[in-house]
Amino acid sequence: MGSSTVERLSVRGLDLEVARRGAGRPALLLHGLQNVDPRARFLDLLGRHTEIIAPSHPGFGSSPRPPDFETVYDLVRLYLEVLESLPYDTVTLIGLSFGGWLAAEIAVACSHRLDRLVLVDALGIKISDRETPDILDVFNTSPAEVRRRTWHDPSRWAPDHDAMSDEELVVRARNWDALCLYGWHPYMYNPQLKRWLGRIRIPTLVLWGASDGIVTPAYGRAYSGLIPGSRFQLIEGAGLHPEIEQAEAFVDAIARFLER
Amino acid sequence: MDAWWQCEVPYPFVPPEILDATDSVRASLPNKYCDPRIAADLFEQVIDEFLLCDDLGLNVLAVEHHAGINSLLGANPVLLGILARQTRQVRILTLGTLISLRQDPVRVAEEYATADVISRGRLEIGFVKSGGSEMASNNANPVNNVERYWEAIDLIKKALSHQEGPFSWEGKHYTHRHVNIWPRPWQQPHPRMWSATGDPDTAAEVGRRGLVHVLILRGPEGTRRAYAAHRQARAEAGLPKVTTDNFAYAAFVYVGDTDEEGLRVGSKLLWFLHTSLKSAPQYSRFLPGTVPPHLAPQVYRTMPKTGTAMLSAGQNAARLTSVTAEQAQAQGILFAGNPDTVYRQVMEFYDKVGGFGHLSLVGRSGFMTHAESEKGIRLFATEVLPRLREIKPLTVD
Repeated sequence: MGSSTVERLSVRGLDLEVARRGAGRPALLLHGLQNVDPRARFLDLLGRHTEIIAPSHPGFGSSPRPPDFETVYDLVRLYLEVLESLPYDTVTLIGLSFGGWLAAEIAVACSHRLDRLVLVDALGIKISDRETPDILDVFNTSPAEVRRRTWHDPSRWAPDHDAMSDEELVVRARNWDALCLYGWHPYMYNPQLKRWLGRIRIPTLVLWGASDGIVTPAYGRAYSGLIPGSRFQLIEGAGLHPEIEQAEAFVDAIARFLER
Repeated sequence: MDAWWQCEVPYPFVPPEILDATDSVRASLPNKYCDPRIAADLFEQVIDEFLLCDDLGLNVLAVEHHAGINSLLGANPVLLGILARQTRQVRILTLGTLISLRQDPVRVAEEYATADVISRGRLEIGFVKSGGSEMASNNANPVNNVERYWEAIDLIKKALSHQEGPFSWEGKHYTHRHVNIWPRPWQQPHPRMWSATGDPDTAAEVGRRGLVHVLILRGPEGTRRAYAAHRQARAEAGLPKVTTDNFAYAAFVYVGDTDEEGLRVGSKLLWFLHTSLKSAPQYSRFLPGTVPPHLAPQVYRTMPKTGTAMLSAGQNAARLTSVTAEQAQAQGILFAGNPDTVYRQVMEFYDKVGGFGHLSLVGRSGFMTHAESEKGIRLFATEVLPRLREIKPLTVD
């Protein structure tokens, strides 16, 4: 395809906004706290290696969220359905932060539709003791602190609400509400998931922003350690969003992983 | 007209430099700044003030707020239980356990039924939607808060009124397979219910359900609109018209011997607005579910464009933090002066909003002293209340 396109995908009556890019082996990309900006540079770079299919979860971007569709369970079932509806035997699954949680759940449930798994600063499990939160509470922490801990270089990369269009701010508010609905409790993890990560038997790459202060590299290493044979790789100069702060290094790491 | 006295038991004794330095006086201010000995004195004084109301025939009202200097009443049912036993004649409105924050509405129904029995049928049950910093303090998902609110009311109402053995509830937010509370309430089928809300959607639902509709510090415009939405929703649903007895208004009220005293002491109530509303952005404008996404452009930017759409609860709060006593009087959120003045101010407001049957007095706040509070209660109950009692319920279109 080459150029940027935003399409719609209909699955079991659910209407999803989808950013598509590139050609080649297919990759389903599940976004994190924000839906993927179709103008994002990493899409162009990654599109040289794969055909990217990046839907916005129901409630995010311009994807409607039906009433009572409000749990991670619903999202996981939705993407299992998407995997079965795509015209490929297998795809590569890439999950960013919140989408990394979804990707891990999907890989546990359905490895046979996947050929590779990439988790990027993924949420979804509980590692530390009961009095040590693994994942910064982005809802109950001051926006300035969340900004500081999200980015390696906030002054360069953190979004500026004052500079955004009305439409972009409406999308951010939709994303924020939807994220809260899906992830409020237990906060951004499934207590049952850790036990089942050993079921993932496809090649897995766990990528982590070295400066991530929302969910730290130590958590990433522990996550990777629970997935048999997975490889953990740090990306320097990036926080929660290596795909944005270090787009080249991010894409290089994935491209090399896909070639193996 | 009936009147209800309330005190939220605020805790104003945190050093000002601490309050200035913090970004939030609610939810995150460490409780090391709350001295339990001072808190005990406050509770003792305020409970005595409630008992003075009982002696004078002025109804009482118990609120609930969590984890902040604005109120130490996080555990509303505890105060409710004390009032149920220690008062002897007046009605007691709980306004109320924040039900969308509680895991089990059946337990709330048990608490309310018990208080109704102990008070021998003097309980009125008010529901408040909650929001803001209460969500963090109670681990409650803010996005579907209103859904939980209505489902919890439905379940509490059924638990209070169902008398034929266990029933099952498998709702969206609450499941309970075996509901059968003892004791059942004294009042049948259940105590009268109230709901506090200002936004038009909730106001309409309050109207359809026929709950007593209470507006808090909303001023004449917002109050009139909410009452109108209540009436209109009933008309559209083909329900009978209601009287002014279905409407209530809560304001700061203080009565002194003179206008000078009434205003001077009454102005102390504005501490609530000036000092106790400070709330960090994550608990207010950036709290998920608080503002509909289409209004985000006005809320997310540092300098919101003005003059558009409705005020959110957070914006309403921001407007109130800098209000002067004179402005507060002009806006109908402070009624203060000598008895004649207070009566006149209440009735001017009454006329502006189309009438109401209940006045709720935020009667003690901030640094008002126990003696000042008791004087205001006596003057209101003896000089103003008898005149308000003359105002009978009316049907207004």
